[in-house]
Amino acid sequence: MTVVPDVDLNYEQAHLVKMVNQIAANVPNRHEVAEQVAVHLRTFWTPEMQRDIQAIERDYPEVLVHQVHVALEILRRS
Amino acid sequence: MTVLDDQLDLGTPRVDSDTIVTVLIDGTPVEVPEGTSIMRAAALTGTQVPKLCATDSLAAFGSCRLCLVEVDGKPGTPASCTTPCSEGMSVRTQTPRLDKLRKGVMELYISDHPLDCLTCPANGDCELQDMAGVVGLRDVRYPDGANHLDAPKDESNPYFTFDESKCIACSRCVRACDEVQGTFALTIAGRGFGSKVAASDGVPFLESECVSCGACVQACPTATLQEKTVIDLGVPTRKVKTTCAYCGVGCSFVAELRGDELVRMVPDKTGGANAGHSCVKGRFAWGYAGHEDRVTAPLIRESIDDEWKVVSWDEAIGFAADRLKSIQSEFGVDSIGGITSSRCTNEEVYVVQKMVRAAFGTNNVDTCARVCHSPTGYGLKQTFGTSAGTQDFKSVEKADVIMVIGANPTDAHPVFASRMKRRLREGAELIVVDPRTIDLVRSAHIEASHHLQLMPGTNVAIVNAMGHVAATEGWIDREFVKERCDLTSLQSWEEFIRLPENSPEALEEATGVPADQVRAAARAYATASNAAIYYGLGVTEHSQGSTMVMAMANLAMATGNIGREGVGVNPLRGQNNVQGACDMGSFPHEFSGYRHVSDDTVREQFEALWGAEMRSDPGMRIPNMLDAATVGEFKGIYIQGEDIAQSDPNTDHVTEALRSMDCVIVQDLFLNETAKFAHVFLPGTSFLEKDGTFTNAERRINRVRPVMPSRTGMAEWEVTCALAKAMGYAMDYDTSSQIMDEIAAVTPTFSGVSFELLDKVGSVQWPCNEKAPLGTPVMHVDEFVRGKGQFITTPFVPTDERSTRKFPLLLTTGRILSQYNVGAQTRRTNNVVWHAEDVLDMHEADAQARGISDGDWAEVTSRAGNTRLRVRVSDDIPAGVVYTTFHHPVSGTNVITTDNSDWATNCPEYKVTAVEVRPSSKVST
Repeated sequence: MTVVPDVDLNYEQAHLVKMVNQIAANVPNRHEVAEQVAVHLRTFWTPEMQRDIQAIERDYPEVLVHQVHVALEILRRS
Repeated sequence: MTVLDDQLDLGTPRVDSDTIVTVLIDGTPVEVPEGTSIMRAAALTGTQVPKLCATDSLAAFGSCRLCLVEVDGKPGTPASCTTPCSEGMSVRTQTPRLDKLRKGVMELYISDHPLDCLTCPANGDCELQDMAGVVGLRDVRYPDGANHLDAPKDESNPYFTFDESKCIACSRCVRACDEVQGTFALTIAGRGFGSKVAASDGVPFLESECVSCGACVQACPTATLQEKTVIDLGVPTRKVKTTCAYCGVGCSFVAELRGDELVRMVPDKTGGANAGHSCVKGRFAWGYAGHEDRVTAPLIRESIDDEWKVVSWDEAIGFAADRLKSIQSEFGVDSIGGITSSRCTNEEVYVVQKMVRAAFGTNNVDTCARVCHSPTGYGLKQTFGTSAGTQDFKSVEKADVIMVIGANPTDAHPVFASRMKRRLREGAELIVVDPRTIDLVRSAHIEASHHLQLMPGTNVAIVNAMGHVAATEGWIDREFVKERCDLTSLQSWEEFIRLPENSPEALEEATGVPADQVRAAARAYATASNAAIYYGLGVTEHSQGSTMVMAMANLAMATGNIGREGVGVNPLRGQNNVQGACDMGSFPHEFSGYRHVSDDTVREQFEALWGAEMRSDPGMRIPNMLDAATVGEFKGIYIQGEDIAQSDPNTDHVTEALRSMDCVIVQDLFLNETAKFAHVFLPGTSFLEKDGTFTNAERRINRVRPVMPSRTGMAEWEVTCALAKAMGYAMDYDTSSQIMDEIAAVTPTFSGVSFELLDKVGSVQWPCNEKAPLGTPVMHVDEFVRGKGQFITTPFVPTDERSTRKFPLLLTTGRILSQYNVGAQTRRTNNVVWHAEDVLDMHEADAQARGISDGDWAEVTSRAGNTRLRVRVSDDIPAGVVYTTFHHPVSGTNVITTDNSDWATNCPEYKVTAVEVRPSSKVST
């Protein structure tokens, strides 16, 4: 079960966190989770949503699972 | 009344045979497949043999004895309906002996039939009347005797009457209910003179098992079973072929009118999707189009707290454009967007997404498929290469094993269900995967061999377990996968699926389904000559909806069940144009034909044609738009024919978002729940007024023809174009066919489609292009659209939404036969007699534990909200699960559904909501 630490996120932020952690938990190839999360965000998320999740990572890194941190790093480098 | 040439009744069904025989009908030679009846052969030469009990939608019966003929060299006068043609046969259909016999038969019929032709509602549309004329009946010799002329009428059904006094006991209605619909609600009760048509055990039609599909009314040769609209209005005088506006079966109909007044909708015999059959919604529930609630003039208001003001089209469009431009100027170009509707035509949808991309300058466009079949698009594209089902509906006639997962076709796709049930009665094996005991599990002459009654949320576990059985027991079709599939992905999938954690035994606790049942079902599917999967929203509306679609695709590929008739992976689409709305580029990341906006080549094509710069970044989905609205970043929306305040999950959040916006534009027939938060209301047109196309669940593109003039004075696409123009971007079309021409020009799978082609051939299934000029009934025949089929590993990840001490029950939702989605249409018809309110189905043990009895009101609470529903104690649902529908806004069903969604597409998890149910004395408000 996804457990989100109790931090002060608004509805939109909390939803983004929930979505991205869920993507990481569900992408098919479990050997390349971060890469697939990065591709998924690039393919389906607006630039604004991608910026928002990066900002959330900065302010509340604990709400994101490890593979999401790696995925966001991949996006920053691309 | 004129009869359309292609609706002629040839008397008996078509026979398929490789052997052709030649027979002489009154000296005229005709070639027919061996086994064809003499009656049909004669009809093909233009000779109508008199008949009463025969019709070409039913197997020959041979009871009326009117269709007698003479065959050279044969004794007697055999019935032409039951006598098959043989090579060299010479038949005479008109001789003095036959004339005398037929006249005698007719005399007997008429001796017990009211002679009220001039005042009969079927006057001019009655086969008995026609036949009396054909045989030259002039008088009846028999004196008054016992008869049925005083038999009472049954007027209980809201749409048709049963006037027993006019019945000739031909059994056409009984056989239609059996053979066409498959409900077996009617019978001939009694014997001899006492024979009479009875519904169930002789109860009124409304109280019987009758599902009001209209097949009996259609089959009746007299006025015994007659539409009430015909009784009230008279026999129609003109006809227009069009397409139903309800579910994804997309039935073809002949609209029959007097002037511009619709009298009845009759299923089109030539309809590729329905082949002359219908359901209660398409056949009868069209009255909403003229309902008094219909709004036909544009409305505006400054604030949602103000009263609506009726204005001209120009003022409404100017008001909307000014507001949207003002919002963009203050909050940025991406602060507005639009939603397209699966109830609108391809042409109407296409212009909305074009307006959003070209006039608004954003990719913030989404469609109501977001909340139903978006996982289908994602999953099938990943595995097969295109976002659509693989088969035509007819394909089910070749299936040996049919697996129905998360779908309830007899309620939600009834016309296809009838076709499926016919195949099941012929002996195909049925697997049902569903928490509920749906009708297909056991009904008249049908019983599922396997009912995997899983707990909600465990679909992926079940199909993985079936894949495990196929892989470990040696049922992989090695020849198929070697030739057709990507072998690297196959290897990965096999390694994954063989893991002990995917065995039926390991997953038994999660799914609640005994392992031996899963193994038996898997063996049945994997070893069948032809095994087909049909699925619905019980697959897609889960947190792993997309994963489940891919899991089913894996199973079908692994067992070689793709690429021919009788097999495939088939989504049963909820709305008539879900497929089309998706095809038209309604998703925020794709142009028409499912091409990503980041594809430079595709984008440049659109930029060149549209003369506007296209964005390469994906736009917001509906839930993203709503989220952004609640934090003040999204301020304006154009909503075409969708009631998100009732249909989308977590109603409180949806309404908060709508309330936060500065410009909500609703284009609809009625002031729906969403319109309560709107600033502009643009009246829409019903399907009876539209000119365009719908694409059904089998990718069939059907014409929607204007049956009557628009009640609003404008076509919906004209309104959209006017708004685009007011926003500063011209979208000029003279007709909707020009829009289809543009769709064909920019969409490879539609490149051969035009109104001209559709008017000529009836319908086509995409891809329709140079390679397949008449369309593609079955996809992936020689190769997959993506080349090699791609296996994708599908780990089962349980949903976060689980039963807890606080919310111990799992709520799942669905729809029923007589109502349709949020009920905007069907609630405004007589269908309310069958379903006046949504109820909560609950297992007896759960009800008893809470002190709730059948019929009690109960409060249903989830972490998202609460509502009140009347309880129906039912053994169709297992303990621990409750079920309801969402057809009535007063029920507030989506107040309790949550913001959980599919991980890949954000399709809401409507099918799993943890709830508690408590007795309540208060009525829902």
